Amino acid sequence: MLELQRNVIFGQFIDTGSVVHRMDPRIKLAAVFAMLVASFLINGFLGFAVVLPLIVLIQVVSRVPLAYVLRGSAFFLGFLLFILFFQVLFYPGEVPASGYLWRWGILSISTEGLASAGILGLRVIFLYYVITMLMLTTSLVDLTNGLELIFGPLQRLGVPVNELVLVFVIAIKFVPIFIDEIERLARAQTARGVPFDEGGAIKRARRIGRLLIPIFVGGFHRADLLSIAMHTRCYRGGRYRTKLRQMSARPSDWLILALVVVWMLAAWLV
Amino acid sequence: MTPDAPIIELRNFHYTYLEGTPKASEAIRDVSFEIRRGERVAIVGATQSGKSTIVDAFAHLLRLAPDQVFYEGGDVAAPGYDRGALRRRVGIVFQRPESQLIEDVVGADVAFGPTAAGIGAEETRQRVEESLDALGLPYPEYRLRYVHALSGGQQRRVAIAGVLAMHTPVLVLDEPMAGLDPRGRRELLGLLRRLANDRDLTLVVCSASLSDASLLCDRVVVLSEGRVAMDGPLREVLREAERLSSLDITLPEPVSGARELRELFPDLPADVLTEEELERELIKRLDVA
Repeated sequence: MLELQRNVIFGQFIDTGSVVHRMDPRIKLAAVFAMLVASFLINGFLGFAVVLPLIVLIQVVSRVPLAYVLRGSAFFLGFLLFILFFQVLFYPGEVPASGYLWRWGILSISTEGLASAGILGLRVIFLYYVITMLMLTTSLVDLTNGLELIFGPLQRLGVPVNELVLVFVIAIKFVPIFIDEIERLARAQTARGVPFDEGGAIKRARRIGRLLIPIFVGGFHRADLLSIAMHTRCYRGGRYRTKLRQMSARPSDWLILALVVVWMLAAWLV
Repeated sequence: MTPDAPIIELRNFHYTYLEGTPKASEAIRDVSFEIRRGERVAIVGATQSGKSTIVDAFAHLLRLAPDQVFYEGGDVAAPGYDRGALRRRVGIVFQRPESQLIEDVVGADVAFGPTAAGIGAEETRQRVEESLDALGLPYPEYRLRYVHALSGGQQRRVAIAGVLAMHTPVLVLDEPMAGLDPRGRRELLGLLRRLANDRDLTLVVCSASLSDASLLCDRVVVLSEGRVAMDGPLREVLREAERLSSLDITLPEPVSGARELRELFPDLPADVLTEEELERELIKRLDVA
């Protein structure tokens, strides 16, 4: 019935062993960073048109099924569309009289509004896509190590990098666990006569609300157990932790990074 | 409906979780069996053999395809099938039921099922009282206790009481004994036997071990990797002790004892349900010797 996991890709890792998966995580993170910066700098439809082939390339090379990514993003895209709708209606910028397609009081639809909402939408989608693909193609271990090494130098300035990264990674790791838990509770309640697989959207949403308290309580309990488990295995944070596996970037990794950076520069400058 | 007609039937049941995604995992390959009214069936198998999936299928808690699961002859996955009615007839006590309590207070949790089924307040109260009493949790003392303040064993009993209060003709228990201490197990076992007799229940017990199931059930369905490996009366299945243990199923103690003693008495039967029975068989052979 509920199989929520079908529709949630956040925090999942799909190992297809592709080139994207095997990249050195540090380099991959650097490439992601380049794309994030670019997503804010690019300011025109032409720029995003230049980006598109790169996205297609990443999708194809990573071998993560497109249908899976799309299904998992449906909710997010719907939400984005909803927000952009208002962005168009309440466009605050200057609009020449010829730009209005429709107007009613403070509500309007103008070509300027549509263009600005379009750019904003593309920017958010690009950002979302890059982050999603980073998660789908990078195991948590790699992600942790990569982040720690990249931000490692900050440790000397007193920033608790190791701890921050740990918190971040645990937060991500809890997402699929929570989803599992929600499914289990929903099944238990359904079996006792409150169906989660029937009724309209509002009714369903209300029932989901009933699950939140047990999930919350369970979450604290789980976090408690995890910290005890880490203590018993003598975990201590800080920069004195060593790595079991040393990372090494291959020339091909640098090549990919260079490609991404040049591509982004091109998209920015066109 | 003839009394002999199956109450639950699985027909070439197969199931894959998250089908069509990269996370798909096949749980059930091909399972067919029938459960008749009043039968007491144990479904045993090692972990990952598909027991819990089958339990979920009984109450249609999965994305079932049609023509696989039938309740009293009706296809539960047919469009328009009354799932609510199905769930009022098939009561399920899940694995680790103590983590599936819904309400904060014992009385309210046990009342959850009957209330959701639209039973009136007075009858609900009676059912709550009777179910809690049956599980050895006296109603006046426990009804206002917080479930989180109870011990694990007590929480499990509350969870079972919550399902009992629904008065379902079919009761399904998934690993009911796991994690209980010997005394808790003995008590629960006695209670379930009493219930099955008094209420004329159809009882399904899932377990990785035959030792509890052998005291409750008279028929055993053995699962292995999503298929039915064996299906028959308890004693018949126990006679194939070697095969059971090769399927990673824990045998009842008398049976594993008999298996070891076979080195001395090669004709010792393996289908001994109790220590007394084993003793009798041994004495018989010692007398001859």
